[in-house]
Amino acid sequence: MYDEPYRWVEAVGNRRQYLDDQFKEGAPVVGVAYEGGILLMTMSKGTAKLYEIYDRLALGGMGHPADLEKLRFNLLEMAHVEGFNRSASDVTGSRLVKYGIAPVIKQAFEEVFKAPFIVKIVLAELGQKAEKDGFLTINYDGTFEEKRRDAVLAATSAVEQKMAGYLRQQSIASLKDAADVAVRTWAIGDRAQRHAHEAVGNHDDTTAGLDQPPTDSETLYTHLRQCLSEKTIECALLDRQIQGTSKYKTLTADELRALLPKDLNPSVA
Amino acid sequence: MGMQGDFYQLLKEQGYVFGVPGQAGTRQEMTTATTILAFKYRDGVLVAGDRRATAGNMVMYDRTDKVLEIDRHSVMAIAGVPATAYEMARILEHSFKYYRRTQLQELSFEGKLRALSKLLKENVAAALAGTGAVAPIFAGYDGGQATAKIYFYDILGAEFEGVEYAVSGSGSPTIRGILHYVNTWGEHPLSAMSEEQATVQALRLLTSAAEFDSATGGVNREAGLYPVMKFITADGVRMMPDVQLRSLFESRVSRGA
Repeated sequence: MYDEPYRWVEAVGNRRQYLDDQFKEGAPVVGVAYEGGILLMTMSKGTAKLYEIYDRLALGGMGHPADLEKLRFNLLEMAHVEGFNRSASDVTGSRLVKYGIAPVIKQAFEEVFKAPFIVKIVLAELGQKAEKDGFLTINYDGTFEEKRRDAVLAATSAVEQKMAGYLRQQSIASLKDAADVAVRTWAIGDRAQRHAHEAVGNHDDTTAGLDQPPTDSETLYTHLRQCLSEKTIECALLDRQIQGTSKYKTLTADELRALLPKDLNPSVA
Repeated sequence: MGMQGDFYQLLKEQGYVFGVPGQAGTRQEMTTATTILAFKYRDGVLVAGDRRATAGNMVMYDRTDKVLEIDRHSVMAIAGVPATAYEMARILEHSFKYYRRTQLQELSFEGKLRALSKLLKENVAAALAGTGAVAPIFAGYDGGQATAKIYFYDILGAEFEGVEYAVSGSGSPTIRGILHYVNTWGEHPLSAMSEEQATVQALRLLTSAAEFDSATGGVNREAGLYPVMKFITADGVRMMPDVQLRSLFESRVSRGA
């Protein structure tokens, strides 16, 4: 029945609704550039959401772990074969996304008889110089965007805009700034997502979605502390200072503790 | 297959072929001769190699780096046909990275040894045809056992552990005896030497090898050419800069002129 154009458009529309639903309770991902490199941050319950892809490429994802895993392997395979056959400098985020996984995700999204990828992805790339640092985000339908200083993933584009708006007001220089801004931005996103979620459930309160929730740091830290009772902060760097070719590094709980405000204990244990 | 994190397998699936034998009987003069050595000192392993590449009587190149860093904790020193050896190093480097990134854990030290052994085995036909013989030394820091290790290989892929030291290349017979002597009757055994003492020994050993083997480069002070020296400890691989080598050579190795 989907062979009629109208039906197909309708089916794709349904699919959007279905996918939007899947991300409602996902954990946002924040990526910010600082003077020494790039920091990626999210909160997770057990399963990791941040990964090393190549010497200067890191991945952050939202959505179904099995789908994320599949795309992660795609990226790893392409990056390493290219890096071996040509050179490490030929492995770029833009090529991997534009000619690699974006078309794959788009095709899966539009083939309405098959399952789509339930993922949103951010690929962070550390340039040879700081001006060349950047991010690529890919949505579940294969649309990608290139960003320079920061990038976020969240359940809806409204939430993403809210997070990006907050990020614009911050100034980031050191790694400490980056970690602090990242967790606060994450809290903005998580609060907005929950808020939207509750607003939909509660039809009487039609103004709920329009409220401007408070964005002062104290409220955000309190929210983070609540989240930390069941989740762990996950943080990874592409650090220009690291010796050797691979620049990726995950921050340990101790390293994070030193970077974040004192009363934020980054791990449950 | 990708799910197992085997990069070499992935390459083969994509049509890559390693170790193609040349035609037997068309033996050419290949760039092969060298001296490489590795021994354990107090903090880890020192791996050193001269910098000359030769083909028959000809010196092809005097700035070769034969001590290749494969990852943060392992080094492969090469003796043999450079084309094949560099290709092996490139495959290994990508294999270890690919394994770590796909499987989210470091490949074990034994796994790394096997990977090199496998490549040598696939290369046997080329080695016997005379176009691709490589006899490397693989040294590294085994994080699992918190100890430094040295292994050396024959061209067929057999691996041997060098408990205290290992040597390879055309200049190696000269220094093998010296290493044995120093280690057994010297003031300190190799394993008790400081980094500086170890460096001085390695410089003296390579200078001796160059004395008796025309294919080994040794030290060329006029050109500012010193051997490549790398140290592997729990912190990773580090290279000694030429300035430091020069001052040690001038104060502790050179007999004046």
